Amino acid sequence: MHQEWTDRLSDYLDGELPADERDAVDEHLRSCASCAAVLNDLKRVVARAASADARPPQADLWRGIAARLNERGETARVVPFAAREARRFAFTLPQLAAAAALLIAVSGGVAWQFAARLGGQVRDVRSAELQARPDAPAASVAGAEGTGAADFARVENVSMADAQYDAAVADLEKALKAGRGSLDASTVAIVEHNLQIIDQAINQAREALAGDPANSYLSGHLVEARRRKLDLLRRATALASETD
Amino acid sequence: MTAVMTLSGEIPAGNGLDSDVALAAGGDQSAFERLYRTHVSRIHSLTRRMLSTQEADEVTQDIFVRTWQKLGQFRGESAFSTWLHRLAVNVVIERRRSFAIQRERMSDDPTALDGLTVGPARADLKVDFESAIGQLPPGAREIFVLHDVEGYKHREIAVMLDIATGTSKRQLHRARMLMRQHLSGD
Repeated sequence: MHQEWTDRLSDYLDGELPADERDAVDEHLRSCASCAAVLNDLKRVVARAASADARPPQADLWRGIAARLNERGETARVVPFAAREARRFAFTLPQLAAAAALLIAVSGGVAWQFAARLGGQVRDVRSAELQARPDAPAASVAGAEGTGAADFARVENVSMADAQYDAAVADLEKALKAGRGSLDASTVAIVEHNLQIIDQAINQAREALAGDPANSYLSGHLVEARRRKLDLLRRATALASETD
Repeated sequence: MTAVMTLSGEIPAGNGLDSDVALAAGGDQSAFERLYRTHVSRIHSLTRRMLSTQEADEVTQDIFVRTWQKLGQFRGESAFSTWLHRLAVNVVIERRRSFAIQRERMSDDPTALDGLTVGPARADLKVDFESAIGQLPPGAREIFVLHDVEGYKHREIAVMLDIATGTSKRQLHRARMLMRQHLSGD
């Protein structure tokens, strides 16, 4: 057996040798029975390893695992994106459920208020500012007539790209500010309170995304919160215009 | 089967994903126990081979607790078994590093094979394979398990263990030669 040759046998066996070295090993193996025997042994070791059976543990480990899960309260565990070290925010399941319920309540409550005020006939009323903006988002300057459902469709057509979205929100906020005098105080208070809640949700989602940019849940959460803000502003603006 | 809403989104059951994975990701411990029973043999074998029989039980439990915690990160981009196995390998490597022995074990000593006597081949490799793995020196042992048993490539092992690819190749050859010696009874 020649160590200078056997040292290369694993690479030879794994196809890791350059062609010239492989040819040299081939030639040596043809004339060296001891090195050829080592190669055969190595082949058997590799084959044995590849066919190694998986054996279960002698004891059932599940009880210990379950105990640890329950000890840590893992049944109501922290959401996965809390696991990364770089993460800045972590939400528990109850917190997420509360946030989702809040958003639903916000949009539902506002819709109820407006529906009550308008007798169920929510029309899309554009602001003068939006009409004057040639570069305003298509959805924001869409046709002035429509049902509530059509309004939603147009809101959803607004791009969630930052620049376009911010422009639409700025226009609507300006229109709402101009028309808030036509709304009663309680409606203004509800709208402002709900906008504040949505803004908080948007800011939290943005900050969490900064620490976990690939998190699809957070991305969806942000898009939805932004959509709801746009929706609320459009409804409030429409209401203000309607009651002028 | 129905889709399951998890904290990180909806995992569609029956779309290449084990429904138990989706259920467990949604917090179902019974489903997670079924996953444990399906995969525990392979995970325990990995830990036993890379560490020791004494450590294997505890580390296997650590792996499944970690799996439960991270299930929400599983996106279905690979098979669950692949994802779980990689997580297990990472836990084992962390375990080894926590004992600050990795550097010593990974020393790329060119004389590592000096003094190793390799006798003529015997008729069969009859000695217990698992026992032979357990007798390998730690560095060679984990690379042998990762490459020859688990099927990882040298470049993957090099990244996992933070070593050079050449070191991985040399340690593997060292391990195979020792396995040959052990299994042939010399």
